[in-house]
Amino acid sequence: MNTEQLIQSLSQNVRPVPRRALGRRIGLGLASGAIVTMALVASLLGIRPDLHQAMHGFSFWMKWIYTASLGIGAVFAVARLGRPTPGPLRGLWLLGIPVLLLAGIGIGELAVTPSRDWLAMWLGVSWKVCPWLVLTLAMPIFIGLLWSFRRLAPTRLRAAGATAGLAAGAWAATIYCLHCPEVSAIFVLTWYSLGIVLAAGAGAVVGPRLMRW
Amino acid sequence: MQVSEAQLKTWMTEGLDGDAVAHAALLRALVPLLRAFYRRRLRGADDDVEDLVQDTLIAVHTRRASYDRGRPFTAWLYAIARYRMIDHFRRRKMTVPIEDVEAILTIEGFEDAANAQMDVDRLLAGLSPKQARAIRDTHIDGLSIAEAASRADIGESDVKVSVHRGLKALAARIKGEWS
Repeated sequence: MNTEQLIQSLSQNVRPVPRRALGRRIGLGLASGAIVTMALVASLLGIRPDLHQAMHGFSFWMKWIYTASLGIGAVFAVARLGRPTPGPLRGLWLLGIPVLLLAGIGIGELAVTPSRDWLAMWLGVSWKVCPWLVLTLAMPIFIGLLWSFRRLAPTRLRAAGATAGLAAGAWAATIYCLHCPEVSAIFVLTWYSLGIVLAAGAGAVVGPRLMRW
Repeated sequence: MQVSEAQLKTWMTEGLDGDAVAHAALLRALVPLLRAFYRRRLRGADDDVEDLVQDTLIAVHTRRASYDRGRPFTAWLYAIARYRMIDHFRRRKMTVPIEDVEAILTIEGFEDAANAQMDVDRLLAGLSPKQARAIRDTHIDGLSIAEAASRADIGESDVKVSVHRGLKALAARIKGEWS
Protein backbone atom coordinates (compact mmCIF):
# COMPACT_ATOMS: atom_id res chain seq x y z
CA MET A 1 0.00 0.00 0.00
CA ASN A 2 1.40 3.41 -0.74
CA THR A 3 1.54 6.09 1.88
CA GLU A 4 -1.24 8.23 0.42
CA GLN A 5 -3.64 5.25 0.37
CA LEU A 6 -2.70 4.50 3.94
CA ILE A 7 -3.46 8.06 5.00
CA GLN A 8 -6.82 7.94 3.26
CA SER A 9 -7.80 4.69 4.93
CA LEU A 10 -6.65 5.94 8.34
CA SER A 11 -8.66 9.15 7.98
CA GLN A 12 -11.85 7.39 6.99
CA ASN A 13 -12.94 6.64 10.48
CA VAL A 14 -11.69 9.30 12.87
CA ARG A 15 -13.43 8.77 16.15
CA PRO A 16 -13.16 11.58 18.68
CA VAL A 17 -10.72 10.97 21.51
CA PRO A 18 -11.87 12.59 24.76
CA ARG A 19 -9.43 14.68 26.77
CA ARG A 20 -9.07 12.14 29.54
CA ALA A 21 -8.87 9.17 27.19
CA LEU A 22 -5.63 7.87 28.66
CA GLY A 23 -6.89 7.87 32.24
CA ARG A 24 -10.16 6.28 31.20
CA ARG A 25 -8.42 3.57 29.25
CA ILE A 26 -6.20 2.67 32.21
CA GLY A 27 -9.13 2.85 34.60
CA LEU A 28 -11.18 0.54 32.42
CA GLY A 29 -8.39 -2.04 32.14
CA LEU A 30 -7.76 -1.86 35.86
CA ALA A 31 -11.43 -2.15 36.79
CA SER A 32 -12.08 -5.09 34.46
CA GLY A 33 -9.15 -6.97 35.90
CA ALA A 34 -10.21 -6.09 39.44
CA ILE A 35 -13.69 -7.48 38.84
CA VAL A 36 -12.20 -10.81 37.73
CA THR A 37 -9.88 -10.84 40.75
CA MET A 38 -12.77 -10.08 43.05
CA ALA A 39 -14.81 -12.90 41.52
CA LEU A 40 -11.85 -15.27 42.06
CA VAL A 41 -11.51 -14.23 45.71
CA ALA A 42 -15.23 -14.58 46.32
CA SER A 43 -15.61 -17.94 44.58
CA LEU A 44 -12.34 -19.76 45.34
CA LEU A 45 -11.08 -18.28 48.61
CA GLY A 46 -14.27 -16.93 50.12
CA ILE A 47 -14.85 -13.57 51.74
CA ARG A 48 -13.92 -13.70 55.41
CA PRO A 49 -17.13 -14.32 57.37
CA ASP A 50 -16.33 -11.66 59.97
CA LEU A 51 -15.71 -8.95 57.37
CA HIS A 52 -18.42 -6.78 58.85
CA GLN A 53 -16.86 -6.79 62.29
CA ALA A 54 -13.35 -6.51 60.86
CA MET A 55 -14.34 -3.31 59.09
CA HIS A 56 -14.81 -1.73 62.49
CA GLY A 57 -11.28 -2.68 63.53
CA PHE A 58 -7.92 -1.00 63.00
CA SER A 59 -5.97 -3.75 61.28
CA PHE A 60 -8.37 -4.11 58.37
CA TRP A 61 -8.08 -0.42 57.50
CA MET A 62 -4.34 -0.46 58.08
CA LYS A 63 -3.98 -3.19 55.47
CA TRP A 64 -6.37 -1.56 53.10
CA ILE A 65 -4.84 1.87 53.27
CA TYR A 66 -1.37 0.40 52.86
CA THR A 67 -2.17 -1.61 49.74
CA ALA A 68 -4.53 0.95 48.21
CA SER A 69 -2.04 3.80 48.59
CA LEU A 70 0.62 1.70 46.85
CA GLY A 71 -1.95 0.94 44.18
CA ILE A 72 -2.86 4.59 43.64
CA GLY A 73 0.79 5.65 43.41
CA ALA A 74 1.59 2.87 40.98
CA VAL A 75 -1.37 3.76 38.76
CA PHE A 76 -0.07 7.33 38.47
CA ALA A 77 3.28 5.95 37.32
CA VAL A 78 1.52 3.64 34.85
CA ALA A 79 -0.32 6.64 33.39
CA ARG A 80 2.99 8.47 32.96
CA LEU A 81 4.60 5.50 31.25
CA GLY A 82 1.69 5.15 28.85
CA ARG A 83 2.96 8.25 27.06
CA PRO A 84 6.03 8.05 24.83
CA THR A 85 7.78 10.83 26.77
CA PRO A 86 7.27 9.83 30.40
CA GLY A 87 9.95 12.10 31.84
CA PRO A 88 11.72 11.28 35.10
CA LEU A 89 9.87 9.06 37.57
CA ARG A 90 11.29 10.46 40.77
CA GLY A 91 7.80 10.64 42.27
CA LEU A 92 7.91 6.86 42.72
CA TRP A 93 9.89 7.46 45.92
CA LEU A 94 6.61 8.62 47.46
CA LEU A 95 5.65 4.93 47.55
CA GLY A 96 8.16 4.62 50.35
CA ILE A 97 5.88 6.65 52.64
CA PRO A 98 3.22 3.96 53.20
CA VAL A 99 5.99 1.38 53.65
CA LEU A 100 7.68 3.50 56.32
CA LEU A 101 4.39 4.24 58.08
CA LEU A 102 3.53 0.56 58.19
CA ALA A 103 7.01 -0.24 59.47
CA GLY A 104 6.43 2.32 62.22
CA ILE A 105 3.19 0.60 63.22
CA GLY A 106 5.03 -2.73 63.11
CA ILE A 107 7.70 -1.51 65.49
CA GLY A 108 4.98 -0.26 67.83
CA GLU A 109 3.33 -3.69 67.70
CA LEU A 110 6.57 -5.47 68.48
CA ALA A 111 7.16 -3.17 71.41
CA VAL A 112 3.89 -4.12 73.07
CA THR A 113 4.11 -7.85 72.29
CA PRO A 114 6.23 -10.24 74.36
CA SER A 115 9.14 -11.39 72.25
CA ARG A 116 8.16 -15.07 72.45
CA ASP A 117 5.09 -14.22 70.36
CA TRP A 118 6.98 -12.31 67.69
CA LEU A 119 7.51 -15.24 65.37
CA ALA A 120 3.86 -16.28 65.48
CA MET A 121 2.81 -12.70 64.81
CA TRP A 122 5.20 -12.38 61.90
CA LEU A 123 4.26 -15.67 60.23
CA GLY A 124 0.55 -15.55 61.02
CA VAL A 125 -1.37 -18.55 59.70
CA SER A 126 -0.93 -17.89 56.01
CA TRP A 127 2.62 -16.66 55.34
CA LYS A 128 3.32 -19.57 53.02
CA VAL A 129 0.44 -18.82 50.67
CA CYS A 130 -0.08 -15.07 51.03
CA PRO A 131 2.62 -13.82 48.58
CA TRP A 132 1.69 -16.43 46.00
CA LEU A 133 -2.00 -15.65 46.24
CA VAL A 134 -1.28 -11.95 45.78
CA LEU A 135 0.89 -12.74 42.74
CA THR A 136 -1.78 -15.00 41.22
CA LEU A 137 -4.60 -12.55 41.90
CA ALA A 138 -2.54 -9.80 40.26
CA MET A 139 -2.64 -11.59 36.91
CA PRO A 140 -6.15 -10.56 35.78
CA ILE A 141 -5.41 -6.94 36.66
CA PHE A 142 -2.09 -7.06 34.84
CA ILE A 143 -3.84 -8.47 31.78
CA GLY A 144 -6.37 -5.64 32.02
CA LEU A 145 -3.53 -3.12 32.03
CA LEU A 146 -1.91 -4.84 29.04
CA TRP A 147 -5.18 -4.23 27.22
CA SER A 148 -5.03 -0.55 28.25
CA PHE A 149 -1.52 -0.23 26.86
CA ARG A 150 -2.61 -1.42 23.44
CA ARG A 151 -3.85 2.10 22.67
CA LEU A 152 -1.01 3.81 24.49
CA ALA A 153 2.58 4.33 23.45
CA PRO A 154 5.00 3.14 26.14
CA THR A 155 8.64 3.55 25.15
CA ARG A 156 10.24 2.34 28.38
CA LEU A 157 8.81 -1.14 28.33
CA ARG A 158 10.61 -2.61 31.33
CA ALA A 159 9.59 0.30 33.56
CA ALA A 160 6.05 0.17 32.16
CA GLY A 161 5.88 -3.58 32.83
CA ALA A 162 7.24 -3.19 36.35
CA THR A 163 4.86 -0.40 37.36
CA ALA A 164 1.90 -2.20 35.76
CA GLY A 165 2.91 -5.28 37.79
CA LEU A 166 3.23 -3.12 40.90
CA ALA A 167 -0.21 -1.61 40.36
CA ALA A 168 -1.72 -5.03 39.66
CA GLY A 169 -0.07 -6.52 42.76
CA ALA A 170 -1.12 -3.68 45.04
CA TRP A 171 -4.74 -3.75 43.88
CA ALA A 172 -4.81 -7.56 44.03
CA ALA A 173 -3.58 -7.31 47.64
CA THR A 174 -6.30 -4.74 48.36
CA ILE A 175 -8.92 -7.17 47.11
CA TYR A 176 -7.26 -10.08 48.90
CA CYS A 177 -7.84 -8.18 52.17
CA LEU A 178 -11.50 -9.22 51.83
CA HIS A 179 -10.41 -12.80 52.45
CA CYS A 180 -7.26 -12.55 54.53
CA PRO A 181 -7.74 -12.80 58.33
CA GLU A 182 -4.25 -11.66 59.32
CA VAL A 183 -4.02 -8.69 61.66
CA SER A 184 -0.38 -7.79 62.31
CA ALA A 185 1.49 -4.97 60.61
CA ILE A 186 4.74 -6.89 60.27
CA PHE A 187 2.85 -9.72 58.56
CA VAL A 188 1.47 -7.29 55.99
CA LEU A 189 4.76 -5.48 55.66
CA THR A 190 6.56 -8.71 54.84
CA TRP A 191 4.23 -11.06 53.04
CA TYR A 192 1.87 -8.67 51.30
CA SER A 193 4.79 -6.56 50.16
CA LEU A 194 6.60 -9.67 48.97
CA GLY A 195 3.61 -10.62 46.82
CA ILE A 196 3.39 -7.10 45.41
CA VAL A 197 7.12 -6.99 44.67
CA LEU A 198 6.90 -10.41 42.98
CA ALA A 199 4.13 -9.03 40.76
CA ALA A 200 6.24 -5.97 39.91
CA GLY A 201 9.23 -8.20 39.12
CA ALA A 202 7.13 -10.47 36.93
CA GLY A 203 5.84 -7.37 35.12
CA ALA A 204 9.39 -6.15 34.54
CA VAL A 205 10.32 -9.55 33.08
CA VAL A 206 7.38 -9.90 30.70
CA GLY A 207 6.84 -6.18 29.96
CA PRO A 208 9.36 -5.79 27.13
CA ARG A 209 7.89 -8.83 25.41
CA LEU A 210 4.19 -8.23 25.92
CA MET A 211 4.03 -4.46 25.63
CA ARG A 212 6.00 -4.20 22.41
CA TRP A 213 4.24 -2.42 19.59
CA MET B 1 7.37 22.66 2.94
CA GLN B 2 7.89 22.83 6.69
CA VAL B 3 4.73 23.06 8.73
CA SER B 4 4.93 24.80 12.08
CA GLU B 5 4.57 23.08 15.43
CA ALA B 6 1.53 25.25 16.13
CA GLN B 7 -0.17 24.12 12.91
CA LEU B 8 0.59 20.44 13.57
CA LYS B 9 -0.76 20.76 17.08
CA THR B 10 -3.93 22.44 15.86
CA TRP B 11 -4.54 19.65 13.35
CA MET B 12 -3.82 17.05 16.01
CA THR B 13 -6.27 18.62 18.45
CA GLU B 14 -8.96 18.92 15.78
CA GLY B 15 -8.34 15.31 14.77
CA LEU B 16 -8.73 14.25 18.41
CA ASP B 17 -12.06 16.04 18.42
CA GLY B 18 -13.12 13.89 15.47
CA ASP B 19 -12.28 16.12 12.50
CA ALA B 20 -11.26 13.68 9.74
CA VAL B 21 -10.07 16.41 7.38
CA ALA B 22 -7.67 17.85 9.95
CA HIS B 23 -6.49 14.35 10.81
CA ALA B 24 -5.68 13.62 7.16
CA ALA B 25 -3.91 16.98 6.83
CA LEU B 26 -1.84 16.13 9.91
CA LEU B 27 -0.81 12.71 8.61
CA ARG B 28 0.09 14.19 5.21
CA ALA B 29 2.20 16.90 6.82
CA LEU B 30 4.03 14.29 8.89
CA VAL B 31 5.19 12.31 5.86
CA PRO B 32 8.05 14.63 4.82
CA LEU B 33 9.11 15.17 8.46
CA LEU B 34 9.26 11.44 9.10
CA ARG B 35 10.96 10.67 5.80
CA ALA B 36 13.70 13.16 6.65
CA PHE B 37 13.97 11.77 10.18
CA TYR B 38 14.42 8.17 9.03
CA ARG B 39 16.42 8.88 5.90
CA ARG B 40 19.16 10.51 7.91
CA ARG B 41 19.35 7.53 10.20
CA LEU B 42 19.03 4.68 7.69
CA ARG B 43 21.17 5.77 4.84
CA GLY B 44 20.39 4.03 1.57
CA ALA B 45 17.49 1.86 2.74
CA ASP B 46 14.57 3.62 1.06
CA ASP B 47 12.14 0.71 1.40
CA ASP B 48 12.82 0.59 5.10
CA VAL B 49 12.31 4.33 5.35
CA GLU B 50 8.89 4.12 3.71
CA ASP B 51 7.93 1.12 5.91
CA LEU B 52 8.92 3.05 8.99
CA VAL B 53 7.04 6.16 7.87
CA GLN B 54 3.89 4.07 7.40
CA ASP B 55 4.36 2.24 10.70
CA THR B 56 4.73 5.56 12.46
CA LEU B 57 1.63 7.01 10.80
CA ILE B 58 -0.34 3.97 11.94
CA ALA B 59 1.02 4.39 15.48
CA VAL B 60 0.18 8.11 15.47
CA HIS B 61 -3.34 7.15 14.45
CA THR B 62 -4.01 4.18 16.73
CA ARG B 63 -2.15 5.47 19.79
CA ARG B 64 -3.26 9.07 19.68
CA ALA B 65 -4.89 8.66 23.10
CA SER B 66 -1.34 8.82 24.48
CA TYR B 67 -0.93 12.43 23.33
CA ASP B 68 -1.30 15.05 26.04
CA ARG B 69 -2.95 18.13 24.52
CA GLY B 70 -1.03 20.41 26.85
CA ARG B 71 2.39 19.29 25.61
CA PRO B 72 4.36 19.94 22.40
CA PHE B 73 3.24 17.78 19.50
CA THR B 74 6.62 17.25 17.86
CA ALA B 75 8.20 15.90 21.06
CA TRP B 76 5.45 13.27 21.15
CA LEU B 77 5.84 12.52 17.45
CA TYR B 78 9.61 12.09 17.54
CA ALA B 79 9.44 9.93 20.67
CA ILE B 80 7.14 7.60 18.75
CA ALA B 81 9.33 7.78 15.65
CA ARG B 82 12.42 6.94 17.67
CA TYR B 83 10.72 4.00 19.37
CA ARG B 84 9.55 2.64 16.00
CA MET B 85 13.10 2.87 14.69
CA ILE B 86 14.63 1.08 17.65
CA ASP B 87 11.98 -1.61 17.33
CA HIS B 88 12.77 -1.86 13.63
CA PHE B 89 16.45 -2.47 14.39
CA ARG B 90 15.54 -5.01 17.04
CA ARG B 91 13.20 -6.85 14.73
CA ARG B 92 15.87 -7.18 12.09
CA LYS B 93 18.44 -8.01 14.73
CA MET B 94 20.43 -5.25 13.20
CA THR B 95 23.56 -4.04 14.87
CA VAL B 96 25.19 -0.71 14.26
CA PRO B 97 28.93 -0.75 13.50
CA ILE B 98 30.83 1.24 16.08
CA GLU B 99 32.16 3.71 13.48
CA ASP B 100 28.59 4.72 12.63
CA VAL B 101 27.63 5.45 16.19
CA GLU B 102 29.29 8.81 16.08
CA ALA B 103 27.38 9.72 12.94
CA ILE B 104 24.11 8.62 14.53
CA LEU B 105 24.86 10.62 17.64
CA THR B 106 25.49 13.80 15.68
CA ILE B 107 22.26 13.23 13.77
CA GLU B 108 20.49 12.98 17.11
CA GLY B 109 20.48 16.79 17.12
CA PHE B 110 18.12 16.61 14.15
CA GLU B 111 14.97 17.00 16.18
CA ASP B 112 16.23 20.18 17.80
CA ALA B 113 17.36 21.41 14.41
CA ALA B 114 13.93 20.66 12.98
CA ASN B 115 12.26 22.55 15.81
CA ALA B 116 14.64 25.48 15.39
CA GLN B 117 13.83 25.39 11.69
CA MET B 118 10.15 25.71 12.52
CA ASP B 119 10.80 28.69 14.76
CA VAL B 120 12.85 30.37 12.05
CA ASP B 121 10.12 29.70 9.50
CA ARG B 122 7.52 31.14 11.82
CA LEU B 123 9.56 34.28 12.41
CA LEU B 124 10.42 34.79 8.77
CA ALA B 125 6.79 34.39 7.80
CA GLY B 126 6.11 37.69 9.53
CA LEU B 127 8.43 39.63 7.21
CA SER B 128 7.89 40.75 3.66
CA PRO B 129 8.77 37.98 1.17
CA LYS B 130 11.75 39.95 -0.11
CA GLN B 131 13.25 40.46 3.34
CA ALA B 132 12.57 36.85 4.35
CA ARG B 133 14.23 35.57 1.23
CA ALA B 134 17.27 37.82 1.64
CA ILE B 135 17.79 36.66 5.22
CA ARG B 136 17.27 33.02 4.33
CA ASP B 137 19.74 33.17 1.44
CA THR B 138 22.50 35.01 3.23
CA HIS B 139 22.17 33.91 6.85
CA ILE B 140 20.74 30.39 6.62
CA ASP B 141 21.77 28.98 3.24
CA GLY B 142 25.11 30.78 3.47
CA LEU B 143 25.14 32.54 0.09
CA SER B 144 27.24 35.65 -0.45
CA ILE B 145 25.51 38.98 -1.00
CA ALA B 146 26.40 38.81 -4.71
CA GLU B 147 25.03 35.25 -5.07
CA ALA B 148 21.84 36.15 -3.24
CA ALA B 149 21.41 39.24 -5.44
CA SER B 150 21.79 37.32 -8.68
CA ARG B 151 19.53 34.50 -7.45
CA ALA B 152 16.76 36.92 -6.51
CA ASP B 153 17.48 39.06 -9.55
CA ILE B 154 17.82 42.28 -7.55
CA GLY B 155 20.69 44.64 -6.80
CA GLU B 156 23.31 43.89 -4.14
CA SER B 157 22.49 46.98 -2.12
CA ASP B 158 18.86 45.93 -2.22
CA VAL B 159 19.83 42.61 -0.63
CA LYS B 160 21.87 44.37 2.04
CA VAL B 161 19.06 46.76 2.88
CA SER B 162 16.49 43.94 2.98
CA VAL B 163 18.66 41.89 5.33
CA HIS B 164 19.31 44.86 7.56
CA ARG B 165 15.68 45.94 7.80
CA GLY B 166 14.47 42.37 8.12
CA LEU B 167 16.82 41.55 11.01
CA LYS B 168 15.87 44.78 12.74
CA ALA B 169 12.18 43.91 12.44
CA LEU B 170 12.85 40.40 13.77
CA ALA B 171 14.82 41.73 16.72
CA ALA B 172 12.00 44.09 17.58
CA ARG B 173 9.47 41.27 17.29
CA ILE B 174 11.45 38.85 19.48
CA LYS B 175 11.89 41.52 22.12
CA GLY B 176 8.15 42.12 21.99
CA GLU B 177 7.45 38.38 22.40
CA TRP B 178 9.70 38.12 25.41
CA SER B 179 8.71 41.20 27.29
